[in-house]
Amino acid sequence: MFCHIFLYRIKELLRNPWHLAWNLIFPLGLATAFFFGFGNLIKDDPEQFTTIPVGYVKEADQPFDQVLTALSKDRKDPILKVSEYKDEEEAKKALRDGDTKGYYIQKGEEISVVVGRNGVTSTTLHQILKEYENQKRVLETIGKKHPEKIADAVKTMEKGQEFLRPHVFNKYTSVYMNYFYSLIAMASLYGSWLATTMLSGISANMSERGKRFESAPVYKMTSLFAGILSTVLLQGIFNGILVFYIQYGLHLSFGVPIWQVLMVTTVGGAMGITIGVFIGALVKKRGLQMAFSLAVSMVTSFLSGLMWGEIRQIIESHIPVINRINPAAMLTGCLYNLGNYGLTKNFYRDLYSMVILTVTLLLVSVAILRRRNYDSL
Amino acid sequence: MESEIVKIDQLVKRYREKLAVDHFSMEVRQGEILGLLGPNGSGKTTTINCLLSLLKYDKGNITVFGKAMRPDAYDLKGQIGVVPQNVAVIHTLTVAENIDFFCGLYIRDKKKRKQCVEEAIEMTGLGEYRKYYPKKLSGGLLRRLNIACGIAHRPKLIIFDEPTVAVDPQSRNAILEGIREMNRQGATIIYTSHYMEEVEELCSRIIIMDRGRNVAEGTTAQLKASLKNRETIRMDLVTCTDEIIRDLKEINHVYEVKQEGEQLIIRCDGGTHNLLHIMGYFEEKNIPFGRVTTELPTLNDVFLEITGKELRD
Ligand SMILES: Nc1ncnc2c1ncn2[C@@H]1O[C@H](COP(=O)(O)OP(=O)(O)O)[C@@H](O)[C@H]1O
Ligand SMILES: [Mg+2]
Repeated sequence: MFCHIFLYRIKELLRNPWHLAWNLIFPLGLATAFFFGFGNLIKDDPEQFTTIPVGYVKEADQPFDQVLTALSKDRKDPILKVSEYKDEEEAKKALRDGDTKGYYIQKGEEISVVVGRNGVTSTTLHQILKEYENQKRVLETIGKKHPEKIADAVKTMEKGQEFLRPHVFNKYTSVYMNYFYSLIAMASLYGSWLATTMLSGISANMSERGKRFESAPVYKMTSLFAGILSTVLLQGIFNGILVFYIQYGLHLSFGVPIWQVLMVTTVGGAMGITIGVFIGALVKKRGLQMAFSLAVSMVTSFLSGLMWGEIRQIIESHIPVINRINPAAMLTGCLYNLGNYGLTKNFYRDLYSMVILTVTLLLVSVAILRRRNYDSL
Repeated sequence: MESEIVKIDQLVKRYREKLAVDHFSMEVRQGEILGLLGPNGSGKTTTINCLLSLLKYDKGNITVFGKAMRPDAYDLKGQIGVVPQNVAVIHTLTVAENIDFFCGLYIRDKKKRKQCVEEAIEMTGLGEYRKYYPKKLSGGLLRRLNIACGIAHRPKLIIFDEPTVAVDPQSRNAILEGIREMNRQGATIIYTSHYMEEVEELCSRIIIMDRGRNVAEGTTAQLKASLKNRETIRMDLVTCTDEIIRDLKEINHVYEVKQEGEQLIIRCDGGTHNLLHIMGYFEEKNIPFGRVTTELPTLNDVFLEITGKELRD
């Protein structure tokens, strides 16, 4: 029974011209358009990894000094090259002139960072500061009791740190790849629409064929899971085609082994599908289901940088919580972190977020959809 | 002995404020073709959906094959075939795939399923269209596909919800003949319609439904026998006076005389030679008249007498 439903669902959805157009062809087309828009910029993006020149406006001695020192010496390719400036004006000027990529500035106890162009460099500068703030207490204590040990402590701190990974990779993935990450996120979330189509076909309160379907002696769980699995598979394949097209058709590199990318996009596809199942569980009108699916896809992928690549970074530095709950940003962030830093903490954070979101929505939806008779058809 | 296939007892279904089915009861007996006749909005489809346990209902009991019908009564659902009122097929599957898909929800064995699908295609005359997509089918063929999807698994009980709406006369006859054939092969049939001619022609027993209630039931003959009306005479008459109407009402067995435009409608409650007596009156008074017809009572008259309104609208 499961196989019967599963196979027929795949067959009928694969022949659905709307879904082929929007879930498969449209993302491929958009990828091509992006490619002609800035494909060349990606291919010879100047932002290879180099030591980052950074300014420092200092009022008083702070443990942060030690961190900067540690990061700018004692290795063959130091991460930072620190220049001190007397005041903010000077630091600003250096940034404007392109002498630095950003500067740290002390304001009393607080240290903040100002960066030029958003990108991997700025992410690194932000993360150094963030990590420092996380470890500040520890560093301060060490600084007071054993000032001589602080360099070691910084070393330990950086060991587990992902912001040092580009150093290991010795290259960055172009910031423009962000558009393609967002595009994959959009395509995955379009899966939600595919899922509502699937769901309406097996629900008596959503379609005529659903009435016929639910009149048959089929366990609701069987039909639900056969349906969900068939759409997860389809969306996974659609995403896979998109990834292959970007990597081998357009020759734009994700920077990591392709199976890692495919693993992420498959999870992303499953997330898109369950979002659709959830929408279907809450809304029963076909038109509304479609409207919701597309609206969710567009808004979330916009916020993840589909139209304006830097928006996700900007949100990250101002209201990071949005990126933690925006599914498109999770997927984009996952691919971004994967491409630039490898399998790091932030990568797993986003990956696990996707898995948790998927499982949660699935459980809630199934609980709602379990009922087999309706108040109104 | 006839045994009950379906028993609906005091079914009540409300959609929010709207009372759609109002203490409706019915029985369906083994081997019969039961007609559920009622105008649009009388609650036929709602009753069917309750019977299938697709709809929750407010009150009442429903048993099928002697067991309580519930949403998870899969053993019962497996023996029922449904032909819903609206065409319910999958538009991206061909005719044969549609039938195979729905049949496969009931029959796991592949060989048996194949045979069933072929039979259903044959019975509905869809042979040359098996590779067509539903979009390419005419209205009548689409209805036939809708039927084929509901009956391929050879159910013991088949429910047809207005299967001939918007169907050309040729397809319609094919459909009705098909239903008779399924009945001959042993299936019990519930057939809903708002076309009385169809129900009269096809069904062995009829339940008349109005505003969610069972207002009358029996065979066609029984229903008609319960009528006061036995004969309706229509007569074209250019000038009609109150006097004529009064005089006509005096004639034995005439109980109602009504003028509708240039037509006079005279209803009689039995007797013989009513037409003769009436025409005699006009000859005697030397009043000219046009065409005259006489009709035996129809189910429409039954409906009219019970509910005070016409069935057809
Ligand atoms: N989903 C619904 N919500 C509200 N009212 C409904 C719904 N379905 C049917 N009705 C109302 O219930 C009544 C019975 O409808 P229905 O069972 O479809 O009648 P029939 O099949 O005899 O034409 C009608 O008045 C109809 O308007
Ligand atoms: Mg109806």
